[in-house]
Amino acid sequence: MKMLIGLVVPDSGSIFVDGASVRIADPVAAASLGIGMVHQHFSLVEALTVWENVALGDSGRLSQTGVRNAVGELSERYGLRIDPDARVADLPVGLRQRVEILKCLRREPDILIFDEPTSVLTPEESEDLFHSLRGVVEQEGRSVALVSHKLTEMLEVTDRVTIMRNGLVVDRYMTADADAGMLARAMVGRDVRLRSTEVSEAIPDMHAGDDGATPGVDGPVLEFRKIEVREPGGSMELDDLTFSLKPGEILGLAGVEGNGQRVIADLLSGLRRPSSGEILVDGVEVDVSQAGAALRAGIAVIPEDRHDSGIVLEMSVAENLMLSDQSGMATRGIINGAALAVAASDLIDRFSIMCTGPDALMWTLSGGNQQRVVLAREITADPAVLVAAQPTRGLDVGAIEYMTDQLRRVARSGVGILLISSELDEILELADRIVVVFMGQVTGEMARSEANREKIGRLMGGDLL
Amino acid sequence: MSAQPTAERGARSRLMEVVLLYAGCALGALVISGLIVEAVGADWSTVGGALLNGSVLKPGRWGGTIGVTIPLAMVAIGTIISTKVGLVNIGQEGQLLVGAAFATYFSTRVPGPGPFVLIVVLAAGVVGGALWSGLAGGLRYWRKVPEVLTTLLLVSVASNLVGYGLKHHWLLLDAEAKLGNRNLVSEQLPPDTRLPRITMWGNDFPISAVLAVCLVLLVGWMLSRTLWGYRLTVVGHNRKVARRFGISESAQGMIAMLASGGFAGLAGAFMLTGGDFANYRMVSGFSVSIGWVGLLVALVANNRALAVIPMAFVFASLRTGSGFLASTGIERRVTDVVQGLIVLALLLPPAIMFIGERRRALAAARSRV
Repeated sequence: MKMLIGLVVPDSGSIFVDGASVRIADPVAAASLGIGMVHQHFSLVEALTVWENVALGDSGRLSQTGVRNAVGELSERYGLRIDPDARVADLPVGLRQRVEILKCLRREPDILIFDEPTSVLTPEESEDLFHSLRGVVEQEGRSVALVSHKLTEMLEVTDRVTIMRNGLVVDRYMTADADAGMLARAMVGRDVRLRSTEVSEAIPDMHAGDDGATPGVDGPVLEFRKIEVREPGGSMELDDLTFSLKPGEILGLAGVEGNGQRVIADLLSGLRRPSSGEILVDGVEVDVSQAGAALRAGIAVIPEDRHDSGIVLEMSVAENLMLSDQSGMATRGIINGAALAVAASDLIDRFSIMCTGPDALMWTLSGGNQQRVVLAREITADPAVLVAAQPTRGLDVGAIEYMTDQLRRVARSGVGILLISSELDEILELADRIVVVFMGQVTGEMARSEANREKIGRLMGGDLL
Repeated sequence: MSAQPTAERGARSRLMEVVLLYAGCALGALVISGLIVEAVGADWSTVGGALLNGSVLKPGRWGGTIGVTIPLAMVAIGTIISTKVGLVNIGQEGQLLVGAAFATYFSTRVPGPGPFVLIVVLAAGVVGGALWSGLAGGLRYWRKVPEVLTTLLLVSVASNLVGYGLKHHWLLLDAEAKLGNRNLVSEQLPPDTRLPRITMWGNDFPISAVLAVCLVLLVGWMLSRTLWGYRLTVVGHNRKVARRFGISESAQGMIAMLASGGFAGLAGAFMLTGGDFANYRMVSGFSVSIGWVGLLVALVANNRALAVIPMAFVFASLRTGSGFLASTGIERRVTDVVQGLIVLALLLPPAIMFIGERRRALAAARSRV
């Protein structure tokens, strides 16, 4: 991908565009060849508005009305609705991606490359996106390359599939000839249990674990009582939100992104405070506005954006691992370096974290391994509650499998898990009970056995049960 | 077998490159300094000789240079603490002045044996400096006023306040001095409240040198090996992570700010009691830019505590050496230019290496197309 947009130049071999061998030495050359790309990690200026971001990179006089009309027209044509005057900083991830797509489409590229576009979208949004991509391909004659590791997506929307592993093409199929099992095997090089088959197996298993792990404990381990969070501007982010989580249970929090999930995770990380209402852990109220109070109460968090609030990139793996138990690694304020190295090495082995050692700086690790550091730290903190916010976002099939296995194991040991996810598959696969949120309110609650896609979809759209 | 030596050779050639780059930049700084000296009509070799003679070579000179190194190192180590937590304290000049003024105030008013008074005086310096930086820290955490502005602006407030104090007997002015006297100075410290001086090979310097080295090493060790330093670093890099894991940003920031100003204040107290500045008195313009130069020391030391001592010595040499320039008949301000060139010479190589690496990667990529 980086080669196609000129960020990386191949050591050997050729790239052909329209049958002619081309040199793509830099992004400008790529753009002149009509190649446009929507990255998985956005390159947007948060302080600017949507239309200003779309106009970035233009030269000459800046016409506000021109750009704004173009944004309106494009979002109309491709069904990507957005307010051109909204500030990007205020937008949820799903909408930020729209901005990124619009930015790319406005340059009228012949070849569009999407890197994991649906990792931040809701099922409906993904469907809309693919619908408009179809239009782009069929009516406007543009080509779309979709990079993804979601099998269903590949099977549903593509014409041809190329499977790569470790920089090699391992297989090519016409989509019509392929099935999920074939793709998955080719991707990981070994048989993986597929999510869809696992859902049915998981249910009895989970309920058995539930009963066994929590004898005699009836009370919820985590409770939200009438929580309200108001934005500084005044609008309501969480509105009278009430739910509870039992020990050993996985509670799935479903909802279209930007309906309060992030605020809930931030509350439980102690990054925000509720305007009113109570948060109780094991029946005791916790004042999350105190630094570290949520952690001390036994709330562990795997954050949605680990770079933002999960890890310190500039510090070592060992130093990141000791965050949850700082004083345990020190005597009279002096850090016990040897003990820390031993403890960190142990976790690195147990969680198979790929790094050069406990002293490796965090930014040298891959995303999946950074996520394992977070997981290792949060699980070993011996929490009562584990909040997992989009825990598998951006991970490959093998890493997803590892993460879901770990979450199940933690739940079986009696920890209550709050699974915040915008991927319905993930929730249906893992959760024992499902709560659906819409505009900061609970619109429905059901056991896994009563849940189905349509029902949850309706609730996600705001219909009350 | 083959990979190891190649990697080693690569590392060695890289090291060579770094050494050459620094040498080249230093040479460049020297040549430009030389040209400037020639331009003002002096001879480069006499100027260079005067600088070296004045700072280290002539009998008794390096003792004086150490005397200047002490407050520079104190200011620099304080700067490193505040930088670590992510704050920009650039008001050391003012914190140093207030520290020195506090020290002066108590030096003639506290009864008791000399050593006791001396300790009180040094402590007063720390308190004064910490108070001044604490003002900026408090504004930062209670009112969200950027500390870059407040620390800087408080320098003028400090120098005016100290100027006021030096006009009034009940504050700092020497009781003997008459108002209207053009020399506004404080009473000289009694001999037993001065820092003892160590004499070594014909040089002498105050014992605060030993204390300063110990403090620099202690702070370096604390920053890397204690929970305090660890928490400071976490706050400096990621406030949200700090908050979630129970590290209070404002508490750590306040502590770092107070420590930073405290060290600047201590620098002022060391200057007052050490004897290398203003003859054991508070005078107007007492701080003689030590606070500003200390910032430069921290900058070229790249916030590594251990590098503070040699860097402070280099900058101190320039200052003491410039005293000898007068004899060559050229403006001593030339050393300010030289000082600036040295800062550039030490800051350029990392920047050049960064740019070079990127350009090389790009060129390699281009050649392959």
